[in-house]
Amino acid sequence: MSGAATPGRGGRGARHRVVVTGLGVVTSIGTGVDAFAAGLRAGRSGAKPIGAFDTTGFAHSNACEITDFDPAAWLTAQSPDDLGRAAQFAVAAARMAVADAGLTAQQVRDVRSLVSVGTTDGESRDLDHLTALQVAEGEDALDEVAARRVWPGRLSAGIVRELGLEDVETVTVPTACAAGNYAVGYGYDAISSGDVEMALCGGADALCRKTFTGFYRLGTIAPDVCRPFDADRQGILTGEGSGILLMESLESALARGARIYAEVLGYGLSCDASHPVAPDRDSIARCITAAHRNAGIEATDVDFISAHGTGTRANDVTEVGAIRQVFGDTLPRTVSIKSMIGHTMGAASALASAACALALRDGFIPPTINHRSTDPECAVDCVPNEAVEAELRVVQNNGLAFGGNNAVLVLGKWEQAA
Amino acid sequence: MTTQLPALDDGQKAEIKDIVCDILELELDEVTDVSLFKEEHDADSLRTIEILSSLERTFGIALTQSELSRMVNLAGVYAVVAEAQVK
Repeated sequence: MSGAATPGRGGRGARHRVVVTGLGVVTSIGTGVDAFAAGLRAGRSGAKPIGAFDTTGFAHSNACEITDFDPAAWLTAQSPDDLGRAAQFAVAAARMAVADAGLTAQQVRDVRSLVSVGTTDGESRDLDHLTALQVAEGEDALDEVAARRVWPGRLSAGIVRELGLEDVETVTVPTACAAGNYAVGYGYDAISSGDVEMALCGGADALCRKTFTGFYRLGTIAPDVCRPFDADRQGILTGEGSGILLMESLESALARGARIYAEVLGYGLSCDASHPVAPDRDSIARCITAAHRNAGIEATDVDFISAHGTGTRANDVTEVGAIRQVFGDTLPRTVSIKSMIGHTMGAASALASAACALALRDGFIPPTINHRSTDPECAVDCVPNEAVEAELRVVQNNGLAFGGNNAVLVLGKWEQAA
Repeated sequence: MTTQLPALDDGQKAEIKDIVCDILELELDEVTDVSLFKEEHDADSLRTIEILSSLERTFGIALTQSELSRMVNLAGVYAVVAEAQVK
């Protein structure tokens, strides 16, 4: 499709094309782009019993926890104590993304840049700890090391500090479970408008008791594994990690001969605020349509959808209903990597963006694992259990959040003009 | 299955009504056994989950989320709690 290489941009005049040239990922199925790509292709599962906090009293308590992360291996300018677990993930992923793009920190320092990191919980893991201390020892009991780092601004500021950036806008985006896509979309705007040359964008979250308990109480934590689009799906598994994309203008990437994973064609947002937790089908459909328009594509151009796909009863039916509203009866394959890495909250759509970029580069569609029988209420080809090879041109990545915060990103294969 | 519905004593009913009124921020005399939480008392789904979790803690019982569809008024809550206690 030639349209993918000539984005529409809605007639807003000459703008810079935006490409992804570096990926940094910390996930329960692999840290680093090669391990993550291998995990996606193999359909690996990050599900395991929770070790992050005491789960006494819960009838079931699996999550997609990361058990092999060593912050000291990634932090050079800061002590691990300076940062909460989510910021540690974000900094590690950012450093990976810079290295993966073939850049040094100095090269990023030399240009005007943006760092935007989405999150649901910020450093709620530390807030769990501080709250438990107060409950056990009284209101004056505070751990000053943890208290100092709970500010969620540290998620993006930690990256800036680690890389020593100065000419940089630094943003933490708190739009819950769609925050990763919001952050990437903001980076797209900043680069395409010419405000910055490079952007490190994505999301980060750490497992915490508060969020696990909240979802558990809502009846949305699966007892064993996450089965998106399955007739027997019982909900999410909470997850953790970070995905950071290094994006730059096409001119910048070509000038330095960078390897290009994908082009960011555009994105769409919708915020309906119609209900605290229930997704709104019409609003999601509006968001998808806005993304297509911004990217200059038609629904028929989309080769697969990386769904929000939480595996709750409500999400999967509502999301597929919204996709159907836009796409009609012929739906592209629609997968959920949450089946593998759990719901990583603010990191979810950022990690899914990274997965989409890898899918475009390597020519495969990641599977929806743990799948047994598709629910007719949300009937999609979810690429059950095994990845498939596919020539891909355009990929759509959905991020949907509580409060009706939705963000949909469209990535395209970038091909050197002949 | 027994056809005889298990019953709560007046003290337990009063305790349940206290919990419901506390969470829905209502005076005790504003709520009857059959007045509807959502339609008449402006309760949302998160408040009803709060009622469910508070009942679990107070009575040491386990309630499944599907019971929420019956917990639309005090009479419904009494029935759900009574059944859970004999399980």
